[in-house]
Amino acid sequence: MLGSQPSQSAGAVLPASLKSTPTAPPLPPAKKADPKTFDEALQEYFSKRPHLAAPKLYAYLESTSPTEENYAWAEYFLARSLIDVGLRHGGGYYLSKIAHERSNPNVIPKALESLKLLTEIAHDETMIDEQVFGSLDLGFLPPEVGDYAHYEQGMVDLRVGNERWANTHFSKLDEKSVESSRARFALLVTRLKTLKGEVPTETIDGFLELSRDEKLSPETRNEARLAVARLRYERKDFPGALAAYEMVQLPKLDPGRASLYLEEAWTRYQLGQVHAAMGLLTTLDAPTFRDEFLPDKYLLRSMVFRDLCHYLPAKRAAKELTRRFAESLEAIHDRDDLTHDGRLRRAAESHGATQRAHKFLDAVNLEAERIGRYAGYFGDRLTGHLTKLYDLEHAEAERVYRARVEESVREEADRLLRAAEQVRLMEYEVGLKLYERIKKGSKAVIPIEEDNLSPAQVAFRFDGEYWNDELRNYRVSLKSRCVEDTAQ
Amino acid sequence: MTKLLPSLACALALSSFAVSTAARAQAEELENPGTVNAVQDREFRMSHELTLSVGVLPLDAFYKGVTAQVGYTFHFTDGFAWQIGRALYSYNLDTGLRTQLQRDFGVLPTAFQEVQYMVGSDLIWTPIYGKGTWLNRSVTHYEAFGVLGASLLNLTNGLTTASSTFRPALNLGLGVRIFGSKHVSYRLDFTDNVVISTDKIFNVPTLQLSAAFNFGTAD
Repeated sequence: MLGSQPSQSAGAVLPASLKSTPTAPPLPPAKKADPKTFDEALQEYFSKRPHLAAPKLYAYLESTSPTEENYAWAEYFLARSLIDVGLRHGGGYYLSKIAHERSNPNVIPKALESLKLLTEIAHDETMIDEQVFGSLDLGFLPPEVGDYAHYEQGMVDLRVGNERWANTHFSKLDEKSVESSRARFALLVTRLKTLKGEVPTETIDGFLELSRDEKLSPETRNEARLAVARLRYERKDFPGALAAYEMVQLPKLDPGRASLYLEEAWTRYQLGQVHAAMGLLTTLDAPTFRDEFLPDKYLLRSMVFRDLCHYLPAKRAAKELTRRFAESLEAIHDRDDLTHDGRLRRAAESHGATQRAHKFLDAVNLEAERIGRYAGYFGDRLTGHLTKLYDLEHAEAERVYRARVEESVREEADRLLRAAEQVRLMEYEVGLKLYERIKKGSKAVIPIEEDNLSPAQVAFRFDGEYWNDELRNYRVSLKSRCVEDTAQ
Repeated sequence: MTKLLPSLACALALSSFAVSTAARAQAEELENPGTVNAVQDREFRMSHELTLSVGVLPLDAFYKGVTAQVGYTFHFTDGFAWQIGRALYSYNLDTGLRTQLQRDFGVLPTAFQEVQYMVGSDLIWTPIYGKGTWLNRSVTHYEAFGVLGASLLNLTNGLTTASSTFRPALNLGLGVRIFGSKHVSYRLDFTDNVVISTDKIFNVPTLQLSAAFNFGTAD
């Protein structure tokens, strides 16, 4: 409907996604709104009745010329009202319109601030990040949103591989701003992707510095710590990697991330701390992580059992992978559409761009359902307009999600195949060990000493019940059954 | 020989049962070897503890005492502590029974002895430290302990200070502590002072709820 307004001829400057506004439903033409409508709508909004403010603001917008002084304000308050009733994408659409139309300079900073807040949750990355912040004329922006816009424009340049242009934007960031720290993080990650050979120490130090940067969110600081740990692991600095994993701070009773535990388990295994590694593998069996896609888990468990000469459990742990992922492996071998495989799809949706696309698609679906709840307040015209707006967005969000998930499931399938191959080798190796003859006079190897409890420690016997506060603290007591000539 | 047969069969059955149990245990150990413990740094450790308590002396049929107590405890380890000193004052409320005895049966008011205050010192042994969940949302740590010590009670008849006498007592009891933070915890103590007198031995149980303030922990 908005696209059909005369003012939208100014939509020549609008990006594609905004130009594709829905066409008008077969409803009678909009009536001329009473001049008081705008004031009444504001009264409703400030009385915390956004569901009553929205239809009045929409009626005002439908019947008012975009050159009117209050037009941009009406768009802004309509956006705020929609956001307040949980229709965030609808709100984002109107805020983006304000940013592109630039009809009222007083409204733009507020609209951009609201848009910046919307970027903290699942949002249309093309509409907001690329077409608003990524393409804004940065000259007129207030500093609060100027830094964010510079950051986004630098990110757009980084994505297309132009680090020099990205640096031009990043150099304009205030050193004390959070965007400055995020930009440094992004630069380090980008350099890592293009790096060949050993990771330079400066890169690790850069991540380490970011892990202590209070301006960054706790999640981003943890990401930096994980990056330090992974890079040190790559350089075979296992004690350093373990120290970095131990720096990861989780909120109280937060179960954390499965990948964190698995990586720490590998590090401890490399350090010879097999009991602690097994403890972390126990953590990964917790119900919280039941749906996690961790083929390596079975391989590592099998390796620990093998090292301690528990060959039957080692064989069983190895077989567990092929048993658990039998359907996925069959789908890969049969060259089926892997997006239909539940495990692989969930694995693909659990991180990165696919996760964001999935979350946004879910959000659009949820918000589209919410329109019906407010239909009685909104009236036919606003309900029809929002329904079409969300239909279009749903189609686009689904297209993006499908494209990303198809790529991601292939990566996950590769990971599964590699693990399955390793497991087959392990099964073979363990099978040989299982039937190996023990020479006469062989003695049991000296067992690896397990740490005794210090006075400051307390031990709770694990009986299958997982407590979130214990997930990082499991220790497995497991005696070696190796004899001298079979010991490693 | 016939008498031996049932006992032999019994012994065989028992030994086969023992062998099968051992075999099952061995098979289980082979299939699922190892034991798992959650090893954690003890989150709450007591050092110098100051307690402020309110409670009751609930047992005596002739009066009920409402008490206030202050105490200081030094914790040698997580399991062993010395409550170096505690001082309790009791505000006593007559029950109807005492009034009735005095009025209807002519019992002298001096016949009733009441605890006015007491001081004491105890050893505390804490063998239990655990945790529980509150509505599956938060984790609460607690400990349970036993108390053994000595008290000195001041007994009066509630009328004149001249009647005041001191009696030694053996104090024993149980308690539970719930930790609120590293510095504040809450205690519920139930103790019994076994008063040793020349003519009789009697009990003065106490029930007290305390706020305990912990100072001097390293963390």
